[in-house]
Amino acid sequence: MTRASDTPMTAHRLGLIAVAVLLAGLVAVPVAVGDQFVYHIFITICIFAALSTAWNIVGGYAGQLSLGHAIFYGIGGYAGVILVNLGISPWIGMFAGAAVAVVAAIVVSWPCFRLHGPFFALATIAFLEVFRVLALHFRELTGGATGLMIPLKIGWEWMVFRERLPALLIAFGMLLVCLAVAWAIRSHRLGFYLVATRERESAAKAAGVGTVKVRLMAVAVSAALSAMVGTFHAMYLTFIEPESMFSLQFSIQIAMFALIGGIGTVWGPLLGAMLLVPITEFARGALGSEAIGLHGFVYGVVLMLVVLFLPNGIMGLVHRFTAAPGKTVGEQAAPVAAAPRSAEPREAGREVMRVEGLQKHFGGLHVTNDVGFTLREGEILGVIGPNGAGKTTVFNMLSGFLKPDEGKVSVLSPSGEWQQPVTPGDFASIGVGRTFQIVQPFAAMTVEENIMVGAFHRHPHVGDAREAARETAHRMGLGPYLNAEASSLTIGGLKRLEVARVMAMEPRILLLDEVMAGINQTDVRRAVDLMLSIRDTGVSIIAIEHVMQAVMSLSDRVIVINSGQIIAQGDPHDVVRDAHVIEAYLGKDFTHA
Amino acid sequence: MDTFLQIVANGLMLGGLFAIVAVGLTLIFGIVKVINFAHGEFLMVGMYLSFLLSTGLDVHPYLTAAAVAPALFVLGALTQRLLIQPLMSARDEHVQIFATVGLSTALMNLALLIFGADIANTPAHGVRSQVMLGEVRILTGQLWVLAAAVALVIGLQLFMKKTRTGRAIRATAQNRAAARLMGINDKFIYILTFGIGAACVGLGSSLIAPLYPTSPTIGTYFVLIAFVCVVLGGLGSIPGAFFGALVIGLVDALSGFYIGSDLREAVVFTIFLLILILKPSGLFGTRMNLSHVSP
Repeated sequence: MTRASDTPMTAHRLGLIAVAVLLAGLVAVPVAVGDQFVYHIFITICIFAALSTAWNIVGGYAGQLSLGHAIFYGIGGYAGVILVNLGISPWIGMFAGAAVAVVAAIVVSWPCFRLHGPFFALATIAFLEVFRVLALHFRELTGGATGLMIPLKIGWEWMVFRERLPALLIAFGMLLVCLAVAWAIRSHRLGFYLVATRERESAAKAAGVGTVKVRLMAVAVSAALSAMVGTFHAMYLTFIEPESMFSLQFSIQIAMFALIGGIGTVWGPLLGAMLLVPITEFARGALGSEAIGLHGFVYGVVLMLVVLFLPNGIMGLVHRFTAAPGKTVGEQAAPVAAAPRSAEPREAGREVMRVEGLQKHFGGLHVTNDVGFTLREGEILGVIGPNGAGKTTVFNMLSGFLKPDEGKVSVLSPSGEWQQPVTPGDFASIGVGRTFQIVQPFAAMTVEENIMVGAFHRHPHVGDAREAARETAHRMGLGPYLNAEASSLTIGGLKRLEVARVMAMEPRILLLDEVMAGINQTDVRRAVDLMLSIRDTGVSIIAIEHVMQAVMSLSDRVIVINSGQIIAQGDPHDVVRDAHVIEAYLGKDFTHA
Repeated sequence: MDTFLQIVANGLMLGGLFAIVAVGLTLIFGIVKVINFAHGEFLMVGMYLSFLLSTGLDVHPYLTAAAVAPALFVLGALTQRLLIQPLMSARDEHVQIFATVGLSTALMNLALLIFGADIANTPAHGVRSQVMLGEVRILTGQLWVLAAAVALVIGLQLFMKKTRTGRAIRATAQNRAAARLMGINDKFIYILTFGIGAACVGLGSSLIAPLYPTSPTIGTYFVLIAFVCVVLGGLGSIPGAFFGALVIGLVDALSGFYIGSDLREAVVFTIFLLILILKPSGLFGTRMNLSHVSP
């Protein structure tokens, strides 16, 4: 129930009951029927559902489409069988396999994170092929193409049984473990971070998410679970070979169940496996070798149909019927609860940020030329300049998204030392928050969840983060939209969401990149009030802005950038009369106008 | 020295074979910006068609290309129209990936259902006879494949550069919206391109059928190698894919001899991973607009 919050409590409870009934059925049905073949089908369902649930942590939550997950399953299988042949119980072997799989997962994934979508998928396929070829090559270890048998030692200690019931119980237990882990990840900070990283990597970085770290954690957990299931499955099959353990088709099937059930949802993979595995096994059992290929054909066709007509899978269908009748999101926005502006111009405090001699070249283009300034506590610094002047480039260097060729950015840490952060993560943790000129919402998340990603920065627990997010949302006038999908907001709403997410991080320095561009007059006035109220809480703001009305009424000080250089700075009213500034905006003819 | 020359020759011949599969793949990627995971199954379908036609009508397998290439054109065009086009605007990448993965799974298993797991041998009609080029022995069929690959690459380049349709295709690839403003029917262009890409592999399958036994899974092997060639040569570049294929053919042949024939694939895929990770634009690749498929 990934979106428990937007469905009424009763629907939520109904869902949980439905899941409990389904899970109970996985054990109850074969026990009641008592048929060997039915047992086999249900054991297979549990194994595939568990593998698919584990895959979903990487493929669904993190959005890294692995088509090589059989690597981890195969490692688990081989580790288990090799150790059993040395007289070591698979209960120990599965942890050994999991450990190896975690190492393999990190080695495989780390270099591939810069690849997206189809390229990541291709890279995982290539790694899978390498593992398969190596498993075939190292015969002494793996038995090569002839495969490996397990010695016939029966009992719980060896995971091998004469009856089917104990095997079913182990498979079911593993499924429960995988579901519990997947559910725990999805409903805690890590899950939010993964989805945020999937939706907008740069926005996630700006919110202080260690995007590489969270993905590595997801991959490691997913690989460990897959390997443990692989160990058990190898014991159940009693025979393994590289072609079946490191199989591309097998990897595709695992991913397919998740997609058909509902990619990125906790229960989707379970539903997908419950629906499709019986088709395979019945086709195999009932039609035998006559029907070789039939189940694969059905899988392929179902996959295409799901992608075309049901892209959110079975869970998407479930949601469509159970979701509360959509609250019509009112047009008029709630007022911003801005504190009245203090009439007195505040006295600027101590320096909190020093920017010295920034230089940046893009190829032959000198985009930033010796930019330097300081920012004081509780000050609003406006940055203006014509299009293409290099304002956003400066911002990117002030938030770690670009490394300057020369020069440095120093920030006063909360403990009072000057530090020089490097990565977006460093900037976020020292208290520098930023927005993006082109809004970067986490589209698949609700407004509340979007803001929570920022709030996690200070509040690691979901409950606290949710509370902080709600509070921030109300301050930003986003209260009525808490449960709306971010993608349903208007542009003005998205701009406010962008600010809300960074405000939830409780930054000490706020970088706002054209938060007023393209929004209507009412929203501009509201945004001005908002920024002043933020400033009055002691936050320092640097704002790139084109809306002159806003710049003039907001800024304590203004910097004008043209062609990468600062051409004027000082009091807003003096700066706009500066001849250089008029020339930069309007050309030489107007300097005397 | 003779052995070395022989290995190099084998590698180049293998490269020609990979090239004729890779050209269609890179064309589809370059223009439609979709990675066709079903490309190998297109090859497999073409090889079975070639097998059925040449045994059924008792004609030279090369002649079947006259029917196989158009048939594959239709298959490709239908794939674009019915499967890819409705998903072109999908926000999530996984949707397009799984669409062609699903097609690949369905086609492979359909072949398994119809033909079983046994291999089908297309009659060779003399193309498996050897010719001597100096010290080096080569199959005539391999020479024809290489020649056809060269002709196909040159032909496609001329088509893309010199004809109105070719220019329209390139314009659509550069900027879809601007091309539409110029009156180009982008949907038609995508259908046409997908069809041409599939027809290329159709031509290839008639040439490959008499050299390799046909089986339902033959496509998987070739398409994975074709992906390597395409990435090596710079995604979307037709001459790049050709030279990438020659390089991979040589690597395959040399590593098979000097490292061990069972490790050839490991070497090839390791190179693939290094290229993907270190230089995703490929060895001969020019920068192209991949903003919506890569970082």
